[in-house]
Amino acid sequence: MKAAPFAYARPAALSDAVAELVDADGGGKVIAGGQSLVPVLAMRLARPTTLVDINAVTGLDALRTVGDRLEVGATVRQRRVEHAPESAQVPLLRLALPWVGHRELRSRGTVCGSLAHADPAAELPAVACCLDAELTLTGPEGERPVRAREFFDGAMTTALRPEDVLSAISFPVAGAREGFGFAEIARRHGDFALAGAAAHVRVDDDGGVSAATMTAFGVSDRPVTRDLTSLVRTTGGDQAELAGALDEVVREVVDTDGDAHASNGYRRRLLRALAARELAKAHRRAVRGTAEVES
Amino acid sequence: MTSTEEPVQEGLRPVRAEAGETVEVRFTVNGTPAVLNLPARVTLADALRDHLGLTGTHVGCEHGVCGMCTVLVDGEAARACLLFACQLDGAEVVTVEGLGRPDDLHPLQESFGRNHALQCGFCTPGFLLSSYDLLSTKPEVTDEELPAELSGVICRCTGYRNIMTAVSETRAAHPEGIPEPGNCARRALVGRSGGQSATVVEEPAEPSGETSRNVEIVLPEGDPTIAVQVDTALDVPFDQVWRVLDDVHVLARCLPGAELTEELGEQLYAGRARVAVGPIKLSFHGIARVLEQDRDTGTIRVLAQGQDTGGAQTQADITLRAHATAAGTELRADAAVYLTGRIAQFGRALAGDISRRMFEQFADSVRQAATTGEAPQQSHAAPSAFRMMFGTLLDRIKRIGRPRGGKS
Repeated sequence: MKAAPFAYARPAALSDAVAELVDADGGGKVIAGGQSLVPVLAMRLARPTTLVDINAVTGLDALRTVGDRLEVGATVRQRRVEHAPESAQVPLLRLALPWVGHRELRSRGTVCGSLAHADPAAELPAVACCLDAELTLTGPEGERPVRAREFFDGAMTTALRPEDVLSAISFPVAGAREGFGFAEIARRHGDFALAGAAAHVRVDDDGGVSAATMTAFGVSDRPVTRDLTSLVRTTGGDQAELAGALDEVVREVVDTDGDAHASNGYRRRLLRALAARELAKAHRRAVRGTAEVES
Repeated sequence: MTSTEEPVQEGLRPVRAEAGETVEVRFTVNGTPAVLNLPARVTLADALRDHLGLTGTHVGCEHGVCGMCTVLVDGEAARACLLFACQLDGAEVVTVEGLGRPDDLHPLQESFGRNHALQCGFCTPGFLLSSYDLLSTKPEVTDEELPAELSGVICRCTGYRNIMTAVSETRAAHPEGIPEPGNCARRALVGRSGGQSATVVEEPAEPSGETSRNVEIVLPEGDPTIAVQVDTALDVPFDQVWRVLDDVHVLARCLPGAELTEELGEQLYAGRARVAVGPIKLSFHGIARVLEQDRDTGTIRVLAQGQDTGGAQTQADITLRAHATAAGTELRADAAVYLTGRIAQFGRALAGDISRRMFEQFADSVRQAATTGEAPQQSHAAPSAFRMMFGTLLDRIKRIGRPRGGKS
């Protein structure tokens, strides 16, 4: 359980990091926190020739609000986002982060790293999809933006090319009439989810539902996002009614076969219960209009 | 391909190393600056254990699931098996060895012991540092939140109830905040794998004298681990023997493996001693205070205290008495030795034999010094483990072979 030997580069500029990846000719891999990558290296499921450590790169540790967006740089640790006052403006991120691994992993793990790794059962890709966040990919030709919902191509597969660095992600700051919900079921707190749901509801000034989105994770090869505006509107955000109305969506969304941890049917029941509960919570929070995180 | 731009993060220097090359890591471990040259793929857990001799950090699954290797990195709990040591250039690491001292445990350690939360002990370092991080960053944590908050470490004995009780009790006892790790100070780190460098950064020892001067050597209560009494007849006149005993520098060089490094004034001395017994190598750094040095009674009494990186600690109360006889001088050494940590795991008989042999070598050196007027030269080397073990064994064989008058 030791990583195979690799060349190690820790450049001070993003352009140098990209150049290292180009030089490695497909054998390069970016490391920031390494909390998902190191286990893969330890089990020798991956044997990159060059590991490009981006922790010394100037500017990638920025966490700031720019207009109505929260920008999170590539080396910003999950635990920093969890506690930074800036990130309170993105309640869904705050709700989801305590579910990401354990405290010990969030100390080092980065938000962008979790997205780049693209584990189908991971929390942050679901958050990014639910909020339709925008990712910045930096390659030899410079930066290019990619929407989160177009970033994930399958399990551990993304729009990143071998010579790209996921350099930042920006989330929309929540408005006053938006509410969020997030929950998952795992065998142990902090482990990967058997099923999980992120929910977003926006209401207009007279309390009518103007938008509702649910992103499911752990139930497919990537986060699956569905627009549920009419469904939440017709049920009025009632949890029991929502559970009934979600049947069809859930059957379509959960497309994994069963595995050692849960059958396909069990995952559907989990997702239905979680989605109904979190959508109802998001609706209540939106109506209350405080964009608060607490229940 | 290394950039010439200045790195942003202090201490995290740009670097480029091929797969076969090593990377220099400068970091602080339990308050002690250390420099290691390691292949990039070496994890922090392995660097701590194999290169710095800090085996308190346990290694379990090696892919981030079990939490055995949890340490503090820049004040936050992190898995040492999921970090490459080279990434920690400039970081501050605290391991379980830094949390408390054997004679002054951290409140969390006390509480784990009191509540039977130790069980087999394998997960204990991980749980201690994970719960330290929890109580220091979230002191308002409720008992209901503890299972989820402590879920990052697995206990194979399933001692979770007791562990949660211990953490809860510590939190309740320290509402103003949990005390800082109590054993983080500049000290020697013992490199353990031959050929790998584990260097303590040399810096002028400015305040160490001040702090040492205020340190009192307090012997533990209770019986010593080993009590040794060695009588030696020296064919040298008393005056010549006393000349050796009266000069601390000469005296120190008569002790096998010992070296006096600093005079702190007021009869207080800093020094180091190395002992090697088979594969076990201990390097003690410590202080000694001369309590009594009286020519009229021929007595010198010294209190000594030493510690090695593995948390092994030894304290000793040593009295040497010399008195003139017709044939020369009778030298009696009385030592009460207190051992904690890994050296205490030895069989006591063997540890006693080794201590006795060291005093015999010491007496021999005193005789040599008294006769020639010169301190022994080779005393900086660790006493030969082979010689000591062989001597000890030989003594035992001799004793077995000898008919015992009282029993026949």
